[in-house]
Amino acid sequence: MNFALLVVPLAAGMFLGYFLREKRKVNLGKVTLGIILVLIFSLGFGIGSNSELLNSLPDVGLSAAVIASLAIVFSVIFVKAVKRKAGLE
Amino acid sequence: MIKYILAALILGGVAGYLDVNWATVVSSVWISDYLLNASLMLLLFVMGVVFAMDKDSISKIRRTGLRILIVPLAVALGTILSGVVSALILGTNVTATTAVSAGFGWYTLTGPLVSQVFGAKWGALGFAANFLRELLTILTVSLMVKVDKYAPTASGGATSMDTTLPIIVRYCGSDTLITAFSSGFVLSVMAPFAIMAIASLGHVRIPLFL
Repeated sequence: MNFALLVVPLAAGMFLGYFLREKRKVNLGKVTLGIILVLIFSLGFGIGSNSELLNSLPDVGLSAAVIASLAIVFSVIFVKAVKRKAGLE
Repeated sequence: MIKYILAALILGGVAGYLDVNWATVVSSVWISDYLLNASLMLLLFVMGVVFAMDKDSISKIRRTGLRILIVPLAVALGTILSGVVSALILGTNVTATTAVSAGFGWYTLTGPLVSQVFGAKWGALGFAANFLRELLTILTVSLMVKVDKYAPTASGGATSMDTTLPIIVRYCGSDTLITAFSSGFVLSVMAPFAIMAIASLGHVRIPLFL
């Protein structure tokens, strides 16, 4: 993933948002949900069309699930522990 | 909302499967690359607008400053430790398993990189494990946010700067945007170095008196 592809739209959005501040609030909830669903659909599509990944799952699926779950659990515990030090409430 | 997300994911999966194995209507690159990137860029733009319009979220970031980098470091440490624990549970090679974990969820990087060092079997595991990290983050975000406001950010690892970011912000609030994005960014930069550093320890035998 090219970082510029992510940073440029984010910065452009912030720039626009900063100048829209005094305007009345716009509700972008529905629009965002719609685009999120498009994003999730294309993620699913990438998985479904990846034969290599699907074929490897019976062999490595269980180990992968253990590794992924533990990574998530440990990350959450560690972040929860240092949250105050990071200045987050 | 999780119902819609699940439906979109399954629908996408089935469509992708049929497209490749049955009748190719569109080249899968169009959906899984171009459509994915386009929707992601649009979402980042919208999230940027919403974030900057909210005065509270900006003052919150000013107060936190660089201390915010503690979050990705905690995720990195936790994940690397989890790799060692996973190896002990699964009875697999400690360095290879930890290298797989050190992808922090970035599967398109971890798969090829781990495969180069440890072989194709480990590459497949590196791809699947990190892909599952992303998938589990999306599927459990509604539960995770009850545990902690920053739990989904931690769970997402490197993906919290892109694919999982919109969902994290949706559930945890606009003020988590910078925390999640910067955490994902730092972890994405760290991932290739972490994998190679751990892989280079490959020849070190860790004495286990079990």
